[in-house]
Amino acid sequence: MTSVVEAPVELRPRTETLLELKGLAVEYGRVRAVDGVDLEIRAGEIVGLAGESGCGKSTVANAVMQILRPPARIAGGSILFQGEELTGKAAEELRRYRWRNVSMVFQSAMNALNPVMRVGDQFVDMMRAHERVSKRKAIADAGELLELVGIDARRVRAYPHELSGGMRQRVIIAMALALRPELVILDEPTTALDVVVQREILQQIQELQRKLEFAVLFITHDLSLLLEVAHRIEIMYAGEIVETAPAEKFATAARHPYSRGLLQSFPPLTGPKARLTGIPGAPPDLRDPPSGCRFHPRCPQCDPGNAALYLRQTTERPRLLEIAPGHHVACHLVEEEAR
Amino acid sequence: MAQLEPTALDVRLTPGARRVGRGRLRVPGWLALLVRNPKSRLGLGIVAFMVLIAIISPLIAVAHPNDFNLLAAKQAPSWHHLFGTTDQGSDVFSQVVVGARRSLLLGATAGAMATVVAAVLGITAAYTGGIVDEIINLLTNVFLTIPPIPLLVVVSAYLKARGLMTMAVVIAVVLWAFEARILRGQALSLKSRDFVVASKAAGESTPRIVFGELMPNMISRIAAAFVLVFYVALLVDAGLEFLGLGDMQATSWGVTVYWAQVNSTVLQGEWWPFIFPSLALGITVLGLVLVLAGIDEVSNPRLRTERIERRGRLALLLGGRVLAARTAQRSA
Amino acid sequence: MSAVAPLEVRNLEKRFPIGGALHHAHVHAVDDVSFVLQPGRITALVGESGSGKTTVARLLARLYDPTAGTVLFEGEDASGLRRRHEILNYRSQVQMIFQDPFGSLNPVKTVRHHLERPLRIHRIVPSGEIRRRVHELLEIVGLVPPEEVAAKYPHELSGGQRQRVAIARVLAVEPKVILADEPTSMLDVSIRIGILNLMLKLKEEHDIAFLYVTHDLASARYIADDLLVMYAGQVVESGPAERVLAEPLHPYTRLLIDAAPDPAALAGKRIEPRKGLAAAAVDPPDACRFLARCPLAVAACSASTPALVEARPGQAARCHVTAPAPSIT
Repeated sequence: MTSVVEAPVELRPRTETLLELKGLAVEYGRVRAVDGVDLEIRAGEIVGLAGESGCGKSTVANAVMQILRPPARIAGGSILFQGEELTGKAAEELRRYRWRNVSMVFQSAMNALNPVMRVGDQFVDMMRAHERVSKRKAIADAGELLELVGIDARRVRAYPHELSGGMRQRVIIAMALALRPELVILDEPTTALDVVVQREILQQIQELQRKLEFAVLFITHDLSLLLEVAHRIEIMYAGEIVETAPAEKFATAARHPYSRGLLQSFPPLTGPKARLTGIPGAPPDLRDPPSGCRFHPRCPQCDPGNAALYLRQTTERPRLLEIAPGHHVACHLVEEEAR
Repeated sequence: MAQLEPTALDVRLTPGARRVGRGRLRVPGWLALLVRNPKSRLGLGIVAFMVLIAIISPLIAVAHPNDFNLLAAKQAPSWHHLFGTTDQGSDVFSQVVVGARRSLLLGATAGAMATVVAAVLGITAAYTGGIVDEIINLLTNVFLTIPPIPLLVVVSAYLKARGLMTMAVVIAVVLWAFEARILRGQALSLKSRDFVVASKAAGESTPRIVFGELMPNMISRIAAAFVLVFYVALLVDAGLEFLGLGDMQATSWGVTVYWAQVNSTVLQGEWWPFIFPSLALGITVLGLVLVLAGIDEVSNPRLRTERIERRGRLALLLGGRVLAARTAQRSA
Repeated sequence: MSAVAPLEVRNLEKRFPIGGALHHAHVHAVDDVSFVLQPGRITALVGESGSGKTTVARLLARLYDPTAGTVLFEGEDASGLRRRHEILNYRSQVQMIFQDPFGSLNPVKTVRHHLERPLRIHRIVPSGEIRRRVHELLEIVGLVPPEEVAAKYPHELSGGQRQRVAIARVLAVEPKVILADEPTSMLDVSIRIGILNLMLKLKEEHDIAFLYVTHDLASARYIADDLLVMYAGQVVESGPAERVLAEPLHPYTRLLIDAAPDPAALAGKRIEPRKGLAAAAVDPPDACRFLARCPLAVAACSASTPALVEARPGQAARCHVTAPAPSIT
């Protein structure tokens, strides 16, 4: 049966801050993949982080999970989870933090399942690494988790290759929720999945989020998914956050030229047809980023004709300014217009 | 607000995109990696050293290493005879140094022949498929089932001419099948890559695809094949000579050791005609093996590490120690 | 210029044997597919993975041979081509763009090599002109400055740039037909529009017939003139793109439309979780293949495979309920 139904009213996020990034900087060798990122996620909130490949969004996720590997290292700033600083914690504490408090579904995770172990056994391994629990109970819990994500519990006995891509992704999501974490990070959870499967996974995530009330950091290059699912949207470019706004306002009120360019990249399925422009050019090489505003080489608003503004755009890095409640933009032109 | 022209399709190149190497000299990426890898760097160093010795051997050896001078026989290593002398009075140092020439030449020749045959047959079989593949596979299987050492012993015993070329050919004949199978496997996995399909769709002929598209992407594996046959050739040749089945007229490590063994020099306390040639052989083979290990690490690439890394990451996320250890065990 | 369509497909069928050496079962990857590609028009072939759309493209590119049915190239049966120069001619007229921008370029060859090879194989221009032509091609696809780009290796380019090189390579032989197999699905969304606009420009300025294989309905709407929807190896709906998307006949088309992300419809869309997979059918029975997921199913649907029927002028669907075969009185 297929039908289209209006979604019920979404749960308003609670107000306590769960995760806070202050001026986070991550370096790979001498390259600053993340350069001064401020981010806040409240309990029960779905925050979408959008940007092109290479903008640093996955690096942010890895930093939050504390799984950065050399040569990547945190070069500055702080990561606070429920008020506690994460960098500098002992390895054992971090191990408990991972998966209990924050879990992650990373890109192509469905291909990372161990092909020679049954799905149920992989759950068991994971649970027994965190709690003392008998194998029988663990398998039973695994079955429940699979039901939670819409898979028949009997498939705990299946091997990964016996499941479709969509089902494997649900298994990964189930694993991520096993210990009922407060925050789940999803890094491109639906890339490489068909559109129908993608829709089902998104629905599943929304349902689970309503039921279990966890917060989500949803990372993707596909802004259209965030417009449907997120409470708040953050746009990242070349290692920086350039705009953040509530999702319902975003489509109509986005001000940063990059955000608007992204919105211009989605051909509409309904309504009038028009030629779109997308965003010409390519993201900068972070070994040698453009001076001033990093978006200026691709920006339609960067015009040498407007000398004073152009000078600022090419020499000064714009700061995030609040132009409306909950709406911040880092753009010289927007700053000018706000005066 | 200025709108971009919808048809403006200028895509400026990413600033700062860099090329490996400066100016005209482009060091192939994988070669640079080999030099950086500590194992293969050591291996390359050893091999380079032996090559150097082989090249300058006429300068540092005596004129005729096999000359014997009974008056100078059985002398322990000294400044006059760095590695001592044999039972017949020949200078062991010269024999080792001149022997290096022969060994390296033999190894390289056998390696080159076996690799060329293996590459051409293996890759063509993989790409063409069908009946050609069947025939080549049959051929490969036949050669694979022949036990190499007994074959070599029998062939050497019957061959009248046992010169370097003959030995090289015999060894190549015995070893090509092993490599052909491996190269065929790799070519099979490359064959379904889009760029090969695209070449075919563009109308490229089969030989051009085999030599122009597939082979250049298999350089590291082909190099590995060459190195493997090289050192096996060295060992086999020395082994045959030790048994008295090789070219006993040549100046080579195996022959020196053969005579040492036949004359029971060790029993008489004369270790030097035995040890030095063996050491030379051992060190050369070690060097080659290290290079091979380096090639494997460099080329069995990031693919393997990436996959293990991804699973390792999942394991790490799911609970660290226990799962990670077991995962690593299983994916190894 | 001939009035015959450059490429026409009639009742195309492709089965793959499965089950090891015994080959006791067949996957019906492509079943009874017919359509025509016209110059200067883009035909979108839409479906999920396993629907057979990629197999259709590869059949047209002569990477596989069809099990049954015919591919007509300029009116002549293409499967009869045996001689090398005939096959080469076909390959120069019917070209393919692949999904993976990195995989479709040889990592150890420069951009220049990739563009020169087709020019040389098909002798498009005399050798003195090759360098100039390579630069021209790069300019057409928007990669400038061409001398710099030509010297680069694939890993030195971004995904979007690589895809443009792939398009330039295809253009080198001046084909009449371009088969684009999900050319944008592995690119960032901000880059996709550029590639889609390029395809539109090529269609308009060079009068090329395009087959655009995709699972993304929105991009299909953006560039396609005609739309074909495939499910489990069969074409289940066909017609002008705008009509089919505005008033779909087949319930699967309806499902695809509901599943597609549409930022304009910010109210959450919902679809019911499906039973069963959309994979290609293995030895399917004589019944509608969409039966398990169909909200409109009636008795007739499990009794026989529906035929593709033109229920409205120019729009056809394969459904007993919405596009019943006209009864014979």
